[in-house]
Amino acid sequence: VCQDYIYDKDMEQIAKEEQRKAWKLQGRSSHLPLRRCVGEKYSTWEPTKRELELLRHNPKRRRITTNCTIGLRGLINLGNTCFMNCIVQALTHTPLLRDFFLSDRHKCEMQSNSCLVCEMSQLFQEFYSGHRSPHIPFRLLHLVWTHARHLAGYEQQDAHEFLIAALDVLHRHCKGDDNGKKANNPNNCSCIIDQIFTGGLQSDVTCQVCHGVSTTIDPFWDISLDLPGSSTPFWPLSPGGDGSTLNGESHLSGATTLTDCLRRFTRPEHLGSSAKIKCSGCHSYQESTKQLTMKKLPIVACFHLKRFEHSAKLRRKITTYVSFPLELDMTPFMASSKESRMNGQYQQSVDVFNNDNKYSLFAVVNHQGTLESGHYTTFIRQHKDQWFKCDDAIITKASIKDVLDSEGYLLFYHKQFLEYE
Amino acid sequence: MKMENMSLSGLDNTKLEALAQDIYSDLVEDACLGLCFEVHRAVKQGYFFLDDTDQESMKDFEIVDQPGVDIFGQVYNQWKNKECVCPNCNRSIAASRFAPHLEKCLGMGRNSSRIANRRIASSNNTNNKSESDQEDNDDVNDNDWSYGSEKKVLIRQMDNVLFSLPGELSSSVNTDPYKYNYNTGINYETLGPDELRSLLTTQCGVISEHTKKMCTRSQRCPQHTDQQRRAVRVFLLGLSATSLPDSNTAVESDGYDASDGQVLMSRLQWDGSSDISPSDSASSKASTNNSDSKKPKKKKKTSLNSTGGGGGGSGSVGGSSSQGCLAGQANRKKPKLPVPPAPSIYDNLN
Repeated sequence: VCQDYIYDKDMEQIAKEEQRKAWKLQGRSSHLPLRRCVGEKYSTWEPTKRELELLRHNPKRRRITTNCTIGLRGLINLGNTCFMNCIVQALTHTPLLRDFFLSDRHKCEMQSNSCLVCEMSQLFQEFYSGHRSPHIPFRLLHLVWTHARHLAGYEQQDAHEFLIAALDVLHRHCKGDDNGKKANNPNNCSCIIDQIFTGGLQSDVTCQVCHGVSTTIDPFWDISLDLPGSSTPFWPLSPGGDGSTLNGESHLSGATTLTDCLRRFTRPEHLGSSAKIKCSGCHSYQESTKQLTMKKLPIVACFHLKRFEHSAKLRRKITTYVSFPLELDMTPFMASSKESRMNGQYQQSVDVFNNDNKYSLFAVVNHQGTLESGHYTTFIRQHKDQWFKCDDAIITKASIKDVLDSEGYLLFYHKQFLEYE
Repeated sequence: MKMENMSLSGLDNTKLEALAQDIYSDLVEDACLGLCFEVHRAVKQGYFFLDDTDQESMKDFEIVDQPGVDIFGQVYNQWKNKECVCPNCNRSIAASRFAPHLEKCLGMGRNSSRIANRRIASSNNTNNKSESDQEDNDDVNDNDWSYGSEKKVLIRQMDNVLFSLPGELSSSVNTDPYKYNYNTGINYETLGPDELRSLLTTQCGVISEHTKKMCTRSQRCPQHTDQQRRAVRVFLLGLSATSLPDSNTAVESDGYDASDGQVLMSRLQWDGSSDISPSDSASSKASTNNSDSKKPKKKKKTSLNSTGGGGGGSGSVGGSSSQGCLAGQANRKKPKLPVPPAPSIYDNLN
């Protein structure tokens, strides 16, 4: 009668249901990284009547645009807790983690009310509250020290150690595991921490005599890279190292690059006559070579530059400058690349259409000072190309040059292209 | 547009262009229609207004990029007075000192070497089990995962260090940048008897049950009673008969050197005798306490008895560590104290 388009609730319900069934029937491939994420056809959010009412009554809506401070907040230093503050900044600016918590996806399964994941959720609320005064993360400190006793104690601590401990506690609490007693199979865990941070590191041990390969795959949350200037020798690189300008890093200047460190990490290493491995092919102890490659890359890859040397004789900080790129292609370090090299396929130039292994830098944790006393700060990326420096309670704008020129201790990279299941 | 079965090869350029043009305009039309439908739906369902934001308040959130201020336009370093409530003891603590407080509050003090040793052991274990340790297998020299070894060095440093009181004690050589002055109290465990003695002549010294720290207020501090102060001195210095110079210097401390005993005695004049008091500043404070204690002997004996009786029970609140401390002190003075730590102190505090 009115000759206008109408939207009938019942019809739409039916249509939605049919669409959902059709989507399921199409079937999806199994190699996609995100498991059990949405499982349904993506549909944009539409508010319900109740939500509309609420929104109408509250007209002071904020929209997070590029020039908006919402999402950024300082953190008070509780007494040498900059090691914690810098990791909190990196985590709250991890896009997937942020989306998970802001869409309220955490369903608490902990018996007690000391769930670190709930506290993390609260942290995101604080960061997006619009408050300008810095947040005091005392509850977070209390929870972490309660659940990770080996960390507790008022001393200067290592940010990397804190990251691993925090991820571990978060992972346990996602499963409602209060005291680490439940058996966890890291290869099958589907908690948000594992979905985002867990990768698989493949270790191939090749017998020098029969060339049989024994392979193990271990989960990892981060990659610790040796640096030149440490007591372990950095060079020579693997035979595959071609001095080309991979990943846009300049080799001419002579500065070590992140790619150099990764190449060294994935080089075949001769284990020596004192470390013979029992070969199941030869049934005897033989010399062997060991090589590490990435079997499965996590969505967020954290690189830890081993700047703190704790060998028997000396303890020092290695301040060698390591240049790291904004965009990183992990393809040469993958197990699959190694296989194609071994199969005689000559490594072509980087396949520009294969986007699976491309990563973007989004957070850098830096340490200034000496081994005994120092200070941690973080650079984080917001709104695609804006960078900010987080120095405990003080957040300031930073340039990309500031970030790339910094020393670098923990480097956080995010996969560029995500496929949703 | 009609779907025609045509072979493209037979067509000339103009026809091909026309076809391309058709496809293009179809695509554009679809896109525009799609947008129209979206907006129409939004208006009809009533959520079109959601895109509007409050312009005024949006301005409040613009990023500031000026020297000397942060992105919120705030000057640096104005957050000195932030406070928070400790989840463990529910006290209000200054935020910048929360971490050291929490360490003590949770019983993880660095000075408690037993706990520290336990922590070292467990941190080595934890590191070995950590799933991120995988890449270390091939690196012999790689120690920076075992933070435990670093901790061992730190703990040893700590044990050699005394808390620095304002001007009072011989300061440690340690230039630890993260040493702090714990202004609200002193941990008696690390102090030797000499330091304790001199401390107790000027300060109240009553040990708080919460933090196990000694009160740094004056000897007339209203928060604690004289009885508590006396009990603390008995507890820490091991003398029972602290009042009368002519009674046995110490009922239990038979091994103390006589001269030490005398010196100690004179410092602990609570009860009116204006005998030798090495620290003059204490004498005026001591004299005001005269009125409080009328029957020194009996009172002392009473506290003694309760001291003697409750020996074993001090394990309640950190008692075991204080036992260790006392034994340490006793070693310096040669004999062992036959009187175990007094739970009566904690009773008094309650």
